[in-house]
Amino acid sequence: MNSRDLIQLAIRNLLRRKTRTFLAVIGVVVGTCAIIVMLSIGFGLSHNFEEQIASYGNLHLVNVYQGGGYVVGGYSDGKQAILDDKAIAAMERIKGVDAVSPRVEEYLTFGIDKHVASVSVIGMKPEVMQKFGFNLQEGRLLQPGDKYALVFGNQVPVMFYNPRETMYSSWSGEPKVDVITDKIIMTGDWEYGQKRRHGSEGEKINYKEYKAQGVGILANPNDESAYYVYMNIDTLKTIKEDLKRARKEIGPNQQGYQSAMVYVGDINDVQDVSDKIREMGFQTHSLSDWLEAMQDQAKMIQGILGGIGAISLLVAALGITNTMIMSIYERTKEIGIMKVIGANLGDIRRMFLLEAGMIGFLGGLAGVVLSFILSLLMNTVLSDLLSMMFGSIGVGGSTISIIPWWVAVGGLVFATAIGLISGYSPARRAMKLSALESLRNE
Amino acid sequence: MKPLIEVKNVRKIYRMGDEKEIALDDVSLSVHKGEIICLVGASGSGKSTFLNMVAGLEKPTRGEIYIGDIPIHKLNEEKVTLFRQKNIGFIFQAFHLLPMLTAVENVGLPLIFRGVDNKKRHILAKKMLEDVGLSGYEKRKPSQMSGGQQQRVGIARALVGNPKIIFADEPTGNLDSSTSVEVMEIMVKKVRENNQTLLIVTHDPTISEYADRIVTIKDGNILNIEENKRG
Repeated sequence: MNSRDLIQLAIRNLLRRKTRTFLAVIGVVVGTCAIIVMLSIGFGLSHNFEEQIASYGNLHLVNVYQGGGYVVGGYSDGKQAILDDKAIAAMERIKGVDAVSPRVEEYLTFGIDKHVASVSVIGMKPEVMQKFGFNLQEGRLLQPGDKYALVFGNQVPVMFYNPRETMYSSWSGEPKVDVITDKIIMTGDWEYGQKRRHGSEGEKINYKEYKAQGVGILANPNDESAYYVYMNIDTLKTIKEDLKRARKEIGPNQQGYQSAMVYVGDINDVQDVSDKIREMGFQTHSLSDWLEAMQDQAKMIQGILGGIGAISLLVAALGITNTMIMSIYERTKEIGIMKVIGANLGDIRRMFLLEAGMIGFLGGLAGVVLSFILSLLMNTVLSDLLSMMFGSIGVGGSTISIIPWWVAVGGLVFATAIGLISGYSPARRAMKLSALESLRNE
Repeated sequence: MKPLIEVKNVRKIYRMGDEKEIALDDVSLSVHKGEIICLVGASGSGKSTFLNMVAGLEKPTRGEIYIGDIPIHKLNEEKVTLFRQKNIGFIFQAFHLLPMLTAVENVGLPLIFRGVDNKKRHILAKKMLEDVGLSGYEKRKPSQMSGGQQQRVGIARALVGNPKIIFADEPTGNLDSSTSVEVMEIMVKKVRENNQTLLIVTHDPTISEYADRIVTIKDGNILNIEENKRG
């Protein structure tokens, strides 16, 4: 029996009992739909968490700090891992790491004309800045050879104010300076540009003033980068040295860098990379730590929702089995005839399996289509309704339901498989019917 | 000449709980190619059981059945089905057409199981319907045909694969006498044309007129075998 005839015969048999087939298919539609939609809500939840956390900062970023950590290997002699160039190079070799830069931070004041702003400046290697996934709103990122070039966080230009006016009297949210074209003075003096409060410190410190040039403004207004200024680490180190001398600070020369930034290309690798770095004896911090916990939660919710969906598909499976068994009872005679006039045992089994599989497949197909429609409705109508009821604040995102393609395909395959499994035992039964018995059955 | 069908000392016992019912006691029969054999006997005489066993639908309790050189009694269900598919055509008392299929599809059904493709199947089935006098009825469903027409479709279905042997179990049992004659004429004509072997089970003495030999079965044994001397 060739497969075309097999399929044709199966379709006819299904059409012969339209109502029953239809009901069995509906069962699968509901089951498939329930699973897919429930899972999609889980995906939506997880996506919203991700979005929410991503808005707080860069999920690809792992911040590495010196000390505190344990050294795997059992050394407990108090020897600390040092965050030096050797350690940085070692981190670069970790699988999944795209770029590593040591990080130096200093609180500096910038002056443009009469306006000033005091901002934390992060020094990093200019040659790797490109790899850290910074998005620009204007200008360019740091490049090798840049010395006093500055890349401003998105919100920094707004922070410039004129200290001679009442502090926020004229604050409008619009930057008063153009950090890229205007000349910039950079200094460690936090009181730069303000009236000197004489005698407050007693001794006056001679701060150096550096001429700097803005080259770019970052795009993201929400994450932590928005409130920093980025520049060449070597230049910033020099500035720090100068400041130390000017302030006459005495302290042990710190070995290595304060911290480092590690950029991981694939968010899923962040956890592994963090673990490896901790094994080297450093402390790490990344938003992914947080994300992971939230995603675990999302997965759990998804599991529960999916389980509810699975129950309805199970019921649908029983429906298919029932339909097939009924149909075998009805067609006992037919099966007998077919057997007597030469249907192979395999043909009979395939015929019934195919019918059951088709019910599953059709139900699955309709279920997937319906799921997409429902998902769309949820994301438009329901999400509007929700934001109307609760307000959009606090709702992480507008996406309630997300159906990844593999879930859609998986749903279809699963429904078909359910059909085949449900049909297996009836098909076997049909195959084993005695031809003679069936013919006598009149 | 070596007989086509050889039945040797076949015995069939049905067990129903503790009771034993002897359907066939000790039956031996040889049938040659091209012969038309009629098995007659009262109901319960064991004639249908005999037919079923030769067709491999039932296994004998004892004894041997050969068709050609093939020991039918030894084949498993799978093999016997395959054998039947290639070598045996069946005609039933109750026609046993599939209700959802049209006449031409019913006739083509055995070919489906042989894996013959749709086009060729249709041509063969249509030709066969013509041969049994049903051209123009191709698209009819069994429910839209008379008993005689249905049985002719049944005959066409049995013959379409050009089997060596045809079994007919009370082929006219559900038909009135004039239709019976019609159907028998067609059946015998086709079988003679193709030099096929036909085994008919019946209790209707008029049917046995068509046979070369009439085998009377009573209480599980062959009572006598009568050569039909026709002019």
